Amino acid sequence: MASSKKYWQSVEELKGSSIVETLSKNEFVEEIPTDEFLGDKETLESSATSRRDFLKYVGFSTAAASLAACEGPVRKSIPYIIKPNDITVGVADWYATSMADGFDFANVLVKTREGRPILIMPNKEANGSTNARTQAAVLSLYDEQLRLKAPRKGTEAISWSTANTEIVAQLQALKESKETVVLITGTLASPSTEKVIADFTAAYPNIKHVAYDAVSASGALDAFEAFYGKRALPNYQFDKAAVIASIGADFLGDWQGGFEKSYSAGRKSENGNMSYHVQFESNYSITGANADKRVVLKPSDQVFALLNLYNAVTGANVPSKATPADATVKEVAAALVKAGSKGVVVTGLNDKNAQLIALAINDALQSIVLDTTATSNVRQGDDTAMAQVVADMKAGKVGGVITYNVDPLYTLANAADFVAGLEKVSLSVALSLQNDATANATTYALPTPHFLESWGDVQAIEGQFGLMQPTIKPLFDTRQFQDVLLQWSGSTATYYDVLKEFWNTTVLAGKSWNQALHDGFFTKKATATVRAKSVNMTSIAAALMSATKPSEFELDLFTSTALGDGKQANNPWLQELPDPLTRAAWDNYLTVSMADANAFGFDNPVQDNGAINGNYANVTVNGVTLKNIPVMVQPGQAKGSVGLALGYGRTHGLKETMQVGVNAYPFLIGGKNIQYGVTIEKAAGSHKFACTQVQKTIAGRHEILKVASLKDVLDTKLDPKHSWNKPTYVTYDHQEVEASTIDLWDDHNREVGHHFNLSIDLTSCTGCGACVVACHAENNVPVVGKHEVRVGRDMHWLRIDRYYSSEVATREEAVASGLSGGDLYEVLENAAENPTVAFQPMMCQHCNHAPCETVCPVAATSHGRQGQNQMAYNRCVGTRYCANNCPYRVRRFNWFNYANNNEFDFNMNNDYGKMVLNPDVVVRSRGVMEKCSMCIQMTQATILTAKKEGRKVAANEFETACTQACATGAMVFGDINNPEDDVAKLKEDKKAFHVLDAVGTKPNVVYQVKVVNTNNA
Amino acid sequence: MSSHYEAPIREPLVLGTKSYHDITEDIARPIEGSANRNWYIAFYISLAAMLWGFGCIFYTVGTGIGVWGLNKNIGWAWDITNFVWWVGIGHAGTLISAVLLLFRQKWRMAINRSAEAMTIFAVFQAGLFPIIHMGRPWNGYWVLPIPNQFGSLWVNFNSPLLWDVFAISTYLSVSLVFWWTGLLPDFAMIRDRAVKPFQKKIYSLLSFGWSGRAKDWQRFEEVSLVLAGLATPLVLSVHTIVSMDFATSINPGWHSTIFPPYFVAGAIFSGFAMVQTLLGIMRKVTNMEDYITRLHVEYMNIVIILTGGIVAVAYASEFFIAWYTGSPYENYTYMSVGAATGPYYWAFWSLIIFNILIPQLLWFKKIRRSFIMSFIISIAINIGMWFERFDIIAIVLSKGHLPSTWWRFEPTFVDVGIFIGTIGFFFVLFLLYARTFPVIAQAEVKTILKSSGAHYKKLRDENNEH
Repeated sequence: MASSKKYWQSVEELKGSSIVETLSKNEFVEEIPTDEFLGDKETLESSATSRRDFLKYVGFSTAAASLAACEGPVRKSIPYIIKPNDITVGVADWYATSMADGFDFANVLVKTREGRPILIMPNKEANGSTNARTQAAVLSLYDEQLRLKAPRKGTEAISWSTANTEIVAQLQALKESKETVVLITGTLASPSTEKVIADFTAAYPNIKHVAYDAVSASGALDAFEAFYGKRALPNYQFDKAAVIASIGADFLGDWQGGFEKSYSAGRKSENGNMSYHVQFESNYSITGANADKRVVLKPSDQVFALLNLYNAVTGANVPSKATPADATVKEVAAALVKAGSKGVVVTGLNDKNAQLIALAINDALQSIVLDTTATSNVRQGDDTAMAQVVADMKAGKVGGVITYNVDPLYTLANAADFVAGLEKVSLSVALSLQNDATANATTYALPTPHFLESWGDVQAIEGQFGLMQPTIKPLFDTRQFQDVLLQWSGSTATYYDVLKEFWNTTVLAGKSWNQALHDGFFTKKATATVRAKSVNMTSIAAALMSATKPSEFELDLFTSTALGDGKQANNPWLQELPDPLTRAAWDNYLTVSMADANAFGFDNPVQDNGAINGNYANVTVNGVTLKNIPVMVQPGQAKGSVGLALGYGRTHGLKETMQVGVNAYPFLIGGKNIQYGVTIEKAAGSHKFACTQVQKTIAGRHEILKVASLKDVLDTKLDPKHSWNKPTYVTYDHQEVEASTIDLWDDHNREVGHHFNLSIDLTSCTGCGACVVACHAENNVPVVGKHEVRVGRDMHWLRIDRYYSSEVATREEAVASGLSGGDLYEVLENAAENPTVAFQPMMCQHCNHAPCETVCPVAATSHGRQGQNQMAYNRCVGTRYCANNCPYRVRRFNWFNYANNNEFDFNMNNDYGKMVLNPDVVVRSRGVMEKCSMCIQMTQATILTAKKEGRKVAANEFETACTQACATGAMVFGDINNPEDDVAKLKEDKKAFHVLDAVGTKPNVVYQVKVVNTNNA
Repeated sequence: MSSHYEAPIREPLVLGTKSYHDITEDIARPIEGSANRNWYIAFYISLAAMLWGFGCIFYTVGTGIGVWGLNKNIGWAWDITNFVWWVGIGHAGTLISAVLLLFRQKWRMAINRSAEAMTIFAVFQAGLFPIIHMGRPWNGYWVLPIPNQFGSLWVNFNSPLLWDVFAISTYLSVSLVFWWTGLLPDFAMIRDRAVKPFQKKIYSLLSFGWSGRAKDWQRFEEVSLVLAGLATPLVLSVHTIVSMDFATSINPGWHSTIFPPYFVAGAIFSGFAMVQTLLGIMRKVTNMEDYITRLHVEYMNIVIILTGGIVAVAYASEFFIAWYTGSPYENYTYMSVGAATGPYYWAFWSLIIFNILIPQLLWFKKIRRSFIMSFIISIAINIGMWFERFDIIAIVLSKGHLPSTWWRFEPTFVDVGIFIGTIGFFFVLFLLYARTFPVIAQAEVKTILKSSGAHYKKLRDENNEH
């Protein structure tokens, strides 16, 4: 209610006296003596502050104020006030730890700078090796987009203590009502975690633990169990093999964790013990690319070939069918029998019976390649058990679900059933690193730390233990899965205590915990001995035959080199890593054989901007249809088969730019990587691919990438320089001399100091791409995104060129067959229908006579005393002449600002992602050229360390990021002025050659001829 | 310099019954009169194109070279193509004014002023590209050997790009001085006729106080001769050095020893074509038909067919050598079977048609003396010469040594916009020039009026004064 009361200040006002009115009009009761002040000229003139001074003050303060306002954005950094004991600013600390994300397992060393992990490298003492995903995992740590940052109930934030209280109460209730609670985890391979889980299930007997792998090896596990009585995988020691027959097993890729290290150890021509590797496959895998003989077979024929091989090796006569490759199968069988215990057969068919046949062949051969004692734990998922869980959930037989480190909503073919099941359970908890689909569907989403923030242990191979230790304080409000389980079990111990106690009592056998933690690994002799059980092979073969339903099209699902099962799909380094074969980044696609592509009218036309396009296909498998899958015509794909990579098409929680490709998991029905009865139809539209290389073949320029047969290489009577490793010869002074010996220039004086060389063995290089990601991480190489890759602007300092063979093997043969002109080019430029493949890592060749150096007008690129071609970014004005004059085309130009630019919203555009940047390497600005520096920051650090310790740099002490990351030892770096260095010997090896020697660039990167054991020498 | 006798069989160089005063009037008319509608239309179109181009340049400098269509394997395309094209166009001016002066070719007098203006304006356009094609053009001055405090940094004298800097800047400055020297008496003429005080002031400044005394004329003649001597080697040197951007590199197709003479011939070829194009328009627009005659057109066409012939032989030689080496690396040079049948076949055949086939029409006297045909052929050559540079750069870079690096180039709207912008800028300058400068060297033309003017020849014929 408004008040109508009137307030008055004086009696006069109340009375309405006129003086009040007068005064109220006059703001100042007393007159201000302005005239007195201003009118007095003398005072003004005598004043120290003149009008001019006044204006000066005004001017100055305005300028000062505006200058202060113009200050650049402030970035606060907090210095160490008291230096931590273990951190010296500017000096990296390395920690030994282990990676285990359920798909990739590795003993690694982690480089930290000022408390931030910035690089992952293999722990070579622990025989560790890293693939591209392990290398890139350090960036996934800082993935603030996808990581689950705080506990959540539904969509509400919740504290850990409330969550724990609520969940424990519900667990107790479920325990009392004796309802099953399912704990679904990925492959853990962690003995201490298994103990924690055992304690947990002891506290809650109604809990059932199921291991689930998105891409499982369930068939192999079941088969091994049936054969040897232990649910594990054999560890294949391919270095012991003389003959390797692989039927669809991509064992250099992700098959059972990958075996590139032991494989390449068994393929050293210099030792004369190179294995003979035959690959029967439908997709073109990197394993097939490395094989001595690759036989194209569609999946159903692979099954029959496996049975035929079994019959041929063992002399049995189990039912089978003829395949187009039977002649080769017979040859391979003969070779295997000849090799005896040094022969091995592996198959990638995720089917118990097929795996049993392979085990039976190996058993018949008494193969020593399979280690059935020190078995492998890298895949533990049980497809049957998981299928049962989903069925039970859907039937309402499950009271609660706890998931850890799995995303069944994304990876299950029958994800809808899982969702339906989730609605029927009373308790659903996702313990997850990522804010993935499952974490969004469960009641509780509890964040777990990244492995770089965690304690833990891994036993990937029986007896080979790895320790995991935190390398950074958890970035988010996370708790370890094990700690959470301990708390739920009612234990007050922390997981660290449990881990240490477990190791001291069970693993270390009296050895030092501190030493084990320092080393990051501990090796024990595996004790379990297992025996082959007898199995009825005929019934198995019959079951296999009946399960194999040859159809017009068969689908072979695989994991791509870059993304694997898709756990790190939000990692820009991996998205930008091109596929080794198709060299397409940022995509998955249906690989189709050339013959089928012609029938359907699929093609990949090259566009005017250099990129390639593709058609779309709708694919139906078992009633499930995926629409608009881009099609890539793949030379060497088996006719009647199509391939599709898993791990793409993830959407939940991913940055929009990373939501690329199609999700192929709905096709992984029953966990089977082979699906029969596939129907394909061409769909409308055109897909834009982002490939880093579009030319398929080497176009007759075979001196770029030399390939020799093992027979020739071992033949001591042959002079390599005139047979299989022929340099370019020219006539000079009427004599035939090597082109590279003729020079207009004086040589650099190399007598003093180091002279760096890098040797790349094309035989050992599997094309895995680990070096590419390592280079990204070490050198702050920017990610540019799909469109920029598409238009040919990827920034990779190190790339791996891929060359398919053409229908006519060499230019000489083509010319001899009467081809010339355009016809000749066409034959040499197009890939054969079933080509062989060679990989060639290509980076700055650090030419001693570098064409780039002479053409730069401002001398921004010049030669270092140690052999490097150096690039001074600050001096570069960006004419790009150097790139044009580089015959290897390894220079990369900063077309835009790639850091702090919303157009390039990758790790260099957010504060978390920037934590991975290497402080030793500058982030380049736009308009400058960049390229491989031979990791000069690393070589300088090595030199300085030696200097500080008052010694010479030891032999083989120098390393670069790519050589460190290379699992197979294909890349060797060092100082050729030190005769003890391996690279000094490799440079003089009979296999050594320089790419484009005739140009006269005299590179400091030397390649070793690719040796293939074509005729099983 | 002027002789008073000329063989009667020579065709007159000045038509009509011109007196000295008529010439003065004719030349001064465009400057003193007001511009017609056509001039304004042309000017505004050019201005719009120029501003659009400037916008594209600002966009490029502000955002990054990534707004162009270049990629990791093709580091140059339209930028350097346009650069070489414009530099080439700039060649005719100096050739006409310097070399023809030394050879005492009187017919040059009608065209040298505009040819040189074209040279200077074209070199402006050319000079833009090396600057804006840089990733960091704000540091462009680093290519100059200026003593500095950046450390002991100095330019790289091995780099052909640095030679370019010297060659182009020398060429521009000598051409400018030469041009201006020739302009002095003509500016003085305008100054003397000017009635508005502002105009008078400007032209007296521009004419450097020319008084018309005998001493002035003597010095004028001497300086012209000396500058002609200085400029003549530049005609050869500039494009020689531009060609070295390619010839000293190691790319198959660029690394070619015949590039210097071949580029110089190509530059004169394209320069004369552009002179034909411009004068074809100008003689109509400014009513200079009596001064720029069929004879002039024919003479220029003869130079065109000569230099075009040299260029054609160079192409044939490149094609032959690429094949003859038998090296697979030479399969895809811009003159090869690979180029003719590859993805850039259209660029290859454009070059062959516009640059080799069409100019052969000039062997026919009728065509050679036809204004309209000369104009059309000159346009064709302008296009053909652009394709020559595009082919050399883009086709060669698109197929490098390693097949893994084979790529293609597609221009963006910015590439196109900047090129159009330079054409606009060029015409803005040329149109302003045509309204403010004496477009024909009237003082020089007057010296040949009595020997080569049609009227005087006729008088001599009638009076049998031979």
